[in-house]
Amino acid sequence: MSWIQRKNLYLVAILCLCVLAALPLPASSYALMWVFLTAVYLTLALSYDIVGGFLGYMNLGHSTFFGLGAYSTAILLNHDFGLALALFLAIIFTAAFAAIVSYPFFRLRGAYFALATFGLISLMEVFASNLQHVTGGSGGISTPPGDYMVPAYYLSLIAAGGTVILSHFLGRSRFGLALLSIREDEEVARSFGVPTFPYKSLSLVISSVPAGLVGGIYVWNVTYISPPAAFGLEIALSPVVIAMLGGTGITLGPLVGAVFITLIQELLWIKVAHFHLTIYGVLLVLLGLFMPGGILRTRWLWPVVQRLGFGEKIDYFKKQGTLER
Amino acid sequence: MASQFFQVVVGGILLGGIYGFAAFGLSITFGVLNILNLTHGDFLMLGSLVGYGIFLHFGINPFIIAIIIIPLFVVIGVGFYLLLLKPISGKPPNQLLVASVLITLGASIVIEDLTSFFWPHPITGIDYSLPSLELYGVVISETRLFILLFLLILAVSIQLYLQKTYMGKSIRAITQCRGGAKLIGIPISRISALTFGLGVAIAASAGVFYITLFTVTPVIGIPLTVKYMSIVVLGGLGSLTGSVIGGIILGIAESLTAYWFGAQWSPAVSFILLISILMIKPEGLLGRQR
Repeated sequence: MSWIQRKNLYLVAILCLCVLAALPLPASSYALMWVFLTAVYLTLALSYDIVGGFLGYMNLGHSTFFGLGAYSTAILLNHDFGLALALFLAIIFTAAFAAIVSYPFFRLRGAYFALATFGLISLMEVFASNLQHVTGGSGGISTPPGDYMVPAYYLSLIAAGGTVILSHFLGRSRFGLALLSIREDEEVARSFGVPTFPYKSLSLVISSVPAGLVGGIYVWNVTYISPPAAFGLEIALSPVVIAMLGGTGITLGPLVGAVFITLIQELLWIKVAHFHLTIYGVLLVLLGLFMPGGILRTRWLWPVVQRLGFGEKIDYFKKQGTLER
Repeated sequence: MASQFFQVVVGGILLGGIYGFAAFGLSITFGVLNILNLTHGDFLMLGSLVGYGIFLHFGINPFIIAIIIIPLFVVIGVGFYLLLLKPISGKPPNQLLVASVLITLGASIVIEDLTSFFWPHPITGIDYSLPSLELYGVVISETRLFILLFLLILAVSIQLYLQKTYMGKSIRAITQCRGGAKLIGIPISRISALTFGLGVAIAASAGVFYITLFTVTPVIGIPLTVKYMSIVVLGGLGSLTGSVIGGIILGIAESLTAYWFGAQWSPAVSFILLISILMIKPEGLLGRQR
């Protein structure tokens, strides 16, 4: 197992990047679209994991930020803003929204938090469907057409790469450690002087930025967004499923999960016309029952991950005595 | 104008009865199991579909269906608990949260997707109505009034059951202090299974009335669960009075919103109410600190 070293991993990563960067030359637009969507899902899952994995709050409404970023970019593009400015303003708007909702939301904990964030999506869907003159109602909104596949492809790769770097260094920073300590025991963290509430809010804001950005890139490329596409169940669940499948709280986890899920989608969903959501649901149930720690925490892979130094500082899914409240 | 306003408020109260009753089921489940059951709304939906089927084939009065459906769904609920939730019940709190949300959310999605495959069209409901009653210029639908009274009777009998019997006392004991209840020898696992069954049965029973009044589609489950959760937050855990009051407040708020702003905005009400309660009084109207 001596080939499992960090150096070799970096080599593999650089190789992958080179292949991905050169891909637009030979590949069909279908393959490009597939990589693009994988990058979008990966970014969503990684940014979800900042709150879901590091902080330990299950934010089921993470796709709200994706939808907000998409909608605000679409509206700005339609008002003749340039792409860069539109994306920038969309991110600012998404982050501001995250900062505002973090105040009531972080008064909740555990399952309450999960369900409240889940409810936020349906609220957003109601708004998007009913504010006809702003969002185009349930018919959705179109942006200026054009062939943006290749630049959008590179943009999505940059966004995904940036999020990987962000997640990796966040997990090792003082701030990231504070988040982990909140996850383990909020009261103890607080009594040790961690400003829990501001940190929780900040982590939500940080996690909202990549999601909003990738929403903007998505709508720019696809040139159309509708309430079900932005706030539907599938886009809401995919970051959670991806992060959980790979392994939450580890940067490598969502990476593995995203590739896994998009491969499953490619293989299964072409053959099966119905029951896409059922497959997601069954996957969720099986994950919850048998491996809430994800693929990376299985018996065979976990030593490899730790050997590479990508494990976590505090073991999230450790065995411990049941503490009764 | 005033009578129209009262009309809307009375409509909201009658609607809130069903909300409160269904939310009570969620509330006891959460209190005992410490697991938020995201399938609650889906069991309501299943209950309404089964009730509809019974009505269609046998033509039984919906009030009787609402009672005979209870044992069936207790069995379904106990089975669901034993199959999916019991294996994770011994985990430490943070893993329990993650696992339970994944499992109940997944189950809810499976139920919704399969149901919408077999029932692609919305079901308009049980055709059952009684004459309306006019009181001081306010028209009261007698169907809704009887449903409200019936649910109140049902709720009071469940409350008596919780107060008087051994199982009821154990449910309340576990809600108050899990460790202590375990210490004095309450069979937590068995009580949990029965409580889950009871919660599911309450949802299903409420579902029969839901389909008497509204159109049911397979996808109503999760929005309803969110709605009931906001009632539970409003009223506090495990308290019947809290759930009923919370339900009636939500019913009135939804009716007034539909009256003032149009019906398309009423789905947003429960959530906005939840957020405002959290901002002002995070422990709920009658509840204690969570």
